[in-house]
Amino acid sequence: MEWVRFIIGSLCIVCGLLIALIAAFGLFKFRFALNRMHAAAMTDTLGILMVLLGLIIMRGFCFDSLKLALIILFFWFASPVSSHLLAGMEVEISDRLKDNCDVEETERKGGVQ
Amino acid sequence: MSRIRKNYENSFAHRFLVFVKGDKPLPEEDHVEEWKHRVAEVKETERAENASYLELAETDPYEDAKRFAKMSDMRVFRRIYYVLAMLMCLMIIGMLIMNVAYMPAFGSEDTPTNNEVAERYLEKGSEETGVVNTVTGMILQYRAFDTFGETNVLFVAACSVMILLFYKTEPEADGTEKRKRKKKAAARHNDEAVAQAEAAAETPDGSVTAPSCAWPQGMQEKETEPERDIILQNVARVVVPMIFLFGLYILLNGHLSPGGGFSGGAVIGAGLILYNAAFGFRATRRFFDEKVYDIIKVGSLCLYALIIAYYLFTGANGIASIVPLGKLGAIISSGLILPINLLVGLEVACTMYAFYALFRRGTF
Amino acid sequence: MTIPAVSGYFFGSAIIVIILIMFACLLRAIRGPEIADRIVAVNMLGTLTIMVICILSLWQNESYLLDVALIYAMISFLAVVVLTRVYLGVHREHLMNRKNREYFAEYADGDAASVAADAAAAVSGTDNAENASAAAPAGKGGDV
Repeated sequence: MEWVRFIIGSLCIVCGLLIALIAAFGLFKFRFALNRMHAAAMTDTLGILMVLLGLIIMRGFCFDSLKLALIILFFWFASPVSSHLLAGMEVEISDRLKDNCDVEETERKGGVQ
Repeated sequence: MSRIRKNYENSFAHRFLVFVKGDKPLPEEDHVEEWKHRVAEVKETERAENASYLELAETDPYEDAKRFAKMSDMRVFRRIYYVLAMLMCLMIIGMLIMNVAYMPAFGSEDTPTNNEVAERYLEKGSEETGVVNTVTGMILQYRAFDTFGETNVLFVAACSVMILLFYKTEPEADGTEKRKRKKKAAARHNDEAVAQAEAAAETPDGSVTAPSCAWPQGMQEKETEPERDIILQNVARVVVPMIFLFGLYILLNGHLSPGGGFSGGAVIGAGLILYNAAFGFRATRRFFDEKVYDIIKVGSLCLYALIIAYYLFTGANGIASIVPLGKLGAIISSGLILPINLLVGLEVACTMYAFYALFRRGTF
Repeated sequence: MTIPAVSGYFFGSAIIVIILIMFACLLRAIRGPEIADRIVAVNMLGTLTIMVICILSLWQNESYLLDVALIYAMISFLAVVVLTRVYLGVHREHLMNRKNREYFAEYADGDAASVAADAAAAVSGTDNAENASAAAPAGKGGDV
């Protein structure tokens, strides 16, 4: 039983590490910040889920695994928001935006342009 | 003098350097026309800067550095400089690593730190102070005076930042008419920009920025402040209470587990900063302004000083402290360490938020 | 072979792999031509650090490290939020100041002629110096 739990947990951790590796590859493969963000956000949600899930399975149910679940939950709250803010900033300040993606011209409200 | 290969631009080392720095390839040498154009441009911008009083807003803060980097005479010197800097770093690293080889093994018995002081702390610490976490017992009971000094350093740092930022220069006495006229023009122009921004912000959809007349005089929010983000607000409503709770948990568990005043206060300050980033200074001022800041900061420091005075008095006269130590491992135990942790946490949280607010906006 | 021995090897190799990925992220954070690239790379560095801390806490059986990981998660989220907000504010202020200055340049009365003369003098003044420095690389080429 212990061995089964350990093997399942380690498989989950290996999956998470593979996802992080793919994300790091994406950081160098893509040419523009928004695409890179797409790759890197994978670590923040799926990668951390797989690694911490593996740790929870290895550990069994106790107070520590509850804390690990809290970390996963916090990441699922925080990571999309930070990606959203970052993308908003990039769209506003980048001068290479039109070379890299199709931009639909809209009125920008508020602020100074 | 180092010799330069003919096709150095195509060599691996040069391309790798460019790759690491992430910039474009070096410019060609024969761009004299462009250089002339650039010099004229620089002169013009300098003139424009002299004409306006907004000296802070440079077009490009690295203009001089870039001009220096483009001088072809300097290139060889720069290369030698790089090599020498690298050699220096390598030498220092080697010396440090050699030092490490002479250190005693980790945890061996005859290290100089294994003396009677550490023994005493470890053996008698928990029964004398009533804490499980020996580090907290050391810094808040045996060396409480030291920690008091550290808290004072935070207080003085915040005070000096406020003195520097609140210092207002007098309007120049020899301001000529021209300068006055320009200031007036600037004011008019800014008013137009503000009016445009407000008109744009009052469109029916989206979050409407409040009119700036609700602020006290001279405390308007900058019009360049980013507009409030509804996604961030909704997440902050969930996350900020969680952060506060976690900070309180760290504060109250300072004598049982690693943590305590400084880290718990930092977490609470981070929660305040997140609240501010999501909801803006108007919302934060409803519960945290100068008055609350002054009361919390000075009050917690004075209470802390009182506790320290009590410790010093009892210790110097050999009187046993009347505060009960409680059961080992309970939340309410270990005498005055819990209130000290709370006071230090409040102090640190206030200082963190004050630094953020002062550097961001100038006031609270 | 017991579980602690195997898990020691496993956790150690996992941490080494994560550290290699962290070096790749560091390279992107140093290179990244735009500020968003740097922030993305630093954010990913923080996530990988949290993975390392969690794995360490299970390996060493120290549950207090999980508190550290939670605080680290909060701080890295806060860093991204505050950086984006502050940078956006600074960028807009910069743009507004530039706009104001253009307005002043139009407003500045009188000495347009002197500006032009000064620019011409600057160009002719730097002409000689530029020629001299342009001659230098030619000499260097001969040296090679």
